[in-house]
Amino acid sequence: MDPPLINESSFSAANPAAYSLAEIWPFGGEPGGLGLRMGNLGGGLGESSGNRDGSLEESTVTEQSGGDGRKRKDVSSEDESSKIVSTSSANGLKDSNGKRMKLDGSRNENGNSKAEVETNSVAGDKPDEQRTKPSEPPKQDYIHVRARRGQATDSHSLAERARREKISERMKILQDLVPGCNKVIGKALVLDEIINYIQSLQRQVEFLSLKLETVNSRVNMNPTIEAFPSKDSFDAAGLLFGSHAPREYAQGSQPEWLHMQVGGSFERTT
Amino acid sequence: MSSSTTTTTSGVTLNPKSCRIKFARRFLRSLAQIKKQKLPSSSSSEEEIRMRSKGIKMAAYYSMARAVGPRMNWSRAFLFKLRNRVRHPKLVKKKKKKRVIMRSNKASRSVSSVHMDRGNKLRELVPGGKSMDFCSLLEETAHYITCLSTQVKVMQAIADHLSK
Repeated sequence: MDPPLINESSFSAANPAAYSLAEIWPFGGEPGGLGLRMGNLGGGLGESSGNRDGSLEESTVTEQSGGDGRKRKDVSSEDESSKIVSTSSANGLKDSNGKRMKLDGSRNENGNSKAEVETNSVAGDKPDEQRTKPSEPPKQDYIHVRARRGQATDSHSLAERARREKISERMKILQDLVPGCNKVIGKALVLDEIINYIQSLQRQVEFLSLKLETVNSRVNMNPTIEAFPSKDSFDAAGLLFGSHAPREYAQGSQPEWLHMQVGGSFERTT
Repeated sequence: MSSSTTTTTSGVTLNPKSCRIKFARRFLRSLAQIKKQKLPSSSSSEEEIRMRSKGIKMAAYYSMARAVGPRMNWSRAFLFKLRNRVRHPKLVKKKKKKRVIMRSNKASRSVSSVHMDRGNKLRELVPGGKSMDFCSLLEETAHYITCLSTQVKVMQAIADHLSK
C-alpha cells in the first residue's frame, strides 16, 4: 500500500488542473461502482484540494485492495508517469489522468456484479457524505463491498462469494428455527439436523392426522353436532363445535378466536 | 376473514399468528367436510382408516398451503401438484415412479459430495424443491419449517380438545 501515498502527493501538487478532470471524464452517467467513484471524484473536485486528495487516495486504495501484484505495479507506474507529467504541464496531467481512469474503468468492468448492486444503493447519498467527511467511512464501505486482499476479483468468484454469504446467512436463520441446531457445527451436520427435523414434523403430522381421524369419527357419533344444520362453508367451526363458536370468533380478534375455540367454547358444546 | 396478510420482506418473515389462524380455519372446515363425506359408510376397516387419515393429512397440508398463499414457492408447488393429482391421477403416478427410479440411479452412480446429497434430500422434503437453487431452497425450507411447526401445533391442539 505504498504507491497511493506517492500518488496522493503527486495529485495534490497538480491541483490547478483538477477541474479539467471532470470534463474529460469518459464514463459519464454509468451506474454502479464506477459511477460511485466518479461521484467521489466530482465531490472532491468541487471542494478544496485537501478533500480532493482524500477522495483520490481513497479511490486508489480501494482499487488496489482487490488487485494482485501485477495490477498494483501497473497503477504505481502510471502514477509515477502522471507525477512526472504533472510537474511539467497541466495538459499532460489531463491525459495521464484520463488514461488512468480508463484503466480503472476497464478493470472495473471485469469487476463484480455484487459491488455494482450494492454501491448502486449507496451511490445517491455518497457525494454529500464525501464533502463532510472526506476520507474514512466510505472507504470501509468500499472495501466491504469489494474483494479483500488476496481474494479473487473476477466476476465469477465474486458472485460465488456473494452466493456463499447468502447461503450461510440463511443457514443461520434455519439454525435459529430448528431447535438444538445452534450447537451443531458444520454445514453438513446442520443440514442433517434440518432434514431430521422436517421429517419428524412430517411424521408428527401423519400421526396427528391418524389421531384426528379416529377422534373425528368418534365425535361424528355425537348427534348434537350433526343436528346443527349449517350449509355455510365458512362456519365449519360452528359445524364442528355447535352454535357458540361462530358468534365468539366473529366478535373477538382472530388470535383470541383460536384460543377460545380450542380452549373454552369447545368443552361447552361437547 | 380480515386477518392481516403478512408482507414478506425478506421472504422468510412470516406472521405466525395470522398463518395459524388461517390454517386452523381451513383445516377445521375441511375436517368437517371429511366428516360429512364419511357419514354413509361408517365402517372402519384397517384400509379405510388409513385412507381417511391420509385424506386428513392431505387436507392439513392443503390448508396450510392455502393459508400461506401463492407467495412462497413451496406452497405454490404443493397446490399445483395437488391440483394435477386431482385432474390426472394416472399421469402423476407414472411420473412419480419414473422420477424415483432416476433418482435412485443417480444416487447410486454419483460419488457426489455430502453437501449435494443433503441438498437433494432437502429438495425431496420441501415441496417444489427440485427446481430451486440451493439458496432459495434454504429460504423456502425456513418458511416451510415454521409453517409445519405451526401446523403440528394446531393439529395437536385440535386433537387434544376433540379427544377430551
